[in-house]
Amino acid sequence: MSATAKYWRIALGVAVIAALIIAPMNFNRYGLYILSQWAVMTIAAMGLNLTLGYAGQVSLAQGAFVGIGAYAAAIMTTQGMPLIAALGVAVVMCFAIGWILGYPALRVQHHYLAFVTLAFSTLAFLVFRNEDWLTKGIYGISNIPRPNVLGFATNRPLPFYYFCLGSLGIVSLAMWWLIRSPWGRAFVALRENPVRALSLGIDTRRYTLMAFAIGSALGGVAGTLYAPLTQYIDPVPFNLSLSLDLLMMVIVGGSGFFFGPFLGAMIAVLLPEWLRFTEGYYLMLYAVAVMLLLIYSPTGILGILDRYLSERRTKAASALRAVAKSRLETAP
Amino acid sequence: MTAVLEVSNIKKSFGGIKAVDGVSFDVREGEILGLIGPNGCGKSTLFNCILGQLTPTDGEVKVDGKVVTGLRPSELNRLGVSRTFQLLQVFPKLSVRENLILAGQEHQGNMMSRLFGPSDAGLSAAADQMIGFFKLDHLATEAAGGLSYGQQKLLDAAMAFMGGPRLVLLDEPAGGVNLTMLGDLKERLAAINREKRATFVVIEHNMEFVMSLCTRVMVMAEGKLLAMGTPAEVRANPAVIEAYLGH
Repeated sequence: MSATAKYWRIALGVAVIAALIIAPMNFNRYGLYILSQWAVMTIAAMGLNLTLGYAGQVSLAQGAFVGIGAYAAAIMTTQGMPLIAALGVAVVMCFAIGWILGYPALRVQHHYLAFVTLAFSTLAFLVFRNEDWLTKGIYGISNIPRPNVLGFATNRPLPFYYFCLGSLGIVSLAMWWLIRSPWGRAFVALRENPVRALSLGIDTRRYTLMAFAIGSALGGVAGTLYAPLTQYIDPVPFNLSLSLDLLMMVIVGGSGFFFGPFLGAMIAVLLPEWLRFTEGYYLMLYAVAVMLLLIYSPTGILGILDRYLSERRTKAASALRAVAKSRLETAP
Repeated sequence: MTAVLEVSNIKKSFGGIKAVDGVSFDVREGEILGLIGPNGCGKSTLFNCILGQLTPTDGEVKVDGKVVTGLRPSELNRLGVSRTFQLLQVFPKLSVRENLILAGQEHQGNMMSRLFGPSDAGLSAAADQMIGFFKLDHLATEAAGGLSYGQQKLLDAAMAFMGGPRLVLLDEPAGGVNLTMLGDLKERLAAINREKRATFVVIEHNMEFVMSLCTRVMVMAEGKLLAMGTPAEVRANPAVIEAYLGH
């Protein structure tokens, strides 16, 4: 990457972050709610992007982990415990359950693995719905308090949005670090060629389980933000369709691209809102838009960008080679 | 000379087919052992049994006197046994340098240091040295998938050396590589063997390559060991001529 391209990237990043901080100051309650939801869903989708996009392990259970996190937050904070304690419990629980859910991935792959995780998703939903003593069943848990963060109350929509945005920032930095570390490289090796990875000393078993556990833990993080965002939860939002939504976010945004989940969540959360003016047609238009995108670019939105950039690089490289060749030929 | 690898009575059947049928041999420290034989005679299956990719039906494998039969390929690799595959196996989306760092990273530190330590696991210099050694300098930051077949083959071989192995099993390293590059590859392998005291076992069909590189050659036919000796001895062996080399 040339120096100017690097500066452009940094400038773009700063502009986007500034916009995310400044623009919502004038938003109404509903706008802030949608934007907070985008931040929360991006965290959950980043987790799935690690498991699926980088490590190549299909999971249809990410929604269940959001549910586990949300219930942990709802149950604990309505009992007067702080949200940070709920976060700790949710992360540890989701990490452990995700680790265990990774074991089938050591035996089965692709569609078969999808079915195993789908079964888990259904199981989690049944627990949320039927275990009244813990989850209050179909009546749900209401009056979930919003936390005080560093002494600031986040009851109002704008401070709570900043809380979600800050959490997204921290998760993004941690994920960036993870992807660039040797672990990130091992995850990609796992996806691209597990047999070769194994022959290079990479303990594919351990990395597979880690990919599941870390991805699931991020689902739990998203859940602990989701509960105070809506302030009321029941089992319905955490059924299979949430897992499918999250899967769509990852794929539409660009599976295996760092910024894929940001874009994917934006489309899944915001596009239906923007299309609302079409009244009854918005879901249909939305579905058609997603289908067309995936036909045009199976690797998602960032896949289009990636293709364009690599074509440009190839052209530049072959031009350089041509120049080098002509110099060789004209040399005395 | 001590034996780095001791293989005794390895057998592997697939259903009723005996792919490897009781093969025993030793590989001495510092030698380059060639393994030749007709297609389907069990060479690659034997490699896979030695390296833990397949579990042998019977028999034992020792590395440095320690029994390793039944270990996973990743565990064997960390004991200093490395390999290449018959078909090209690089990671096409990673750059040449990233491929090499990946190939060595599990030999550095532990899981924690690989998460919190430097992103290159401290291997950038070693990777660049390997890149220079295999004459891939101008390609260091290119995606491996964009390299020519021969260049990928060189990278594939280079990756096997990143962990600093004592024993390397190469499955048809010269397959599909053009003559100029073949000379380079042979010279590089001989240099690593000389300088690092690395021991090689090489499966190859290119006789010129095998006979000029290897110190000893063993011949397999129909799952069994047919002959073992210096290149000259093997070339003169009537049974080998009959089964493989031809008149």
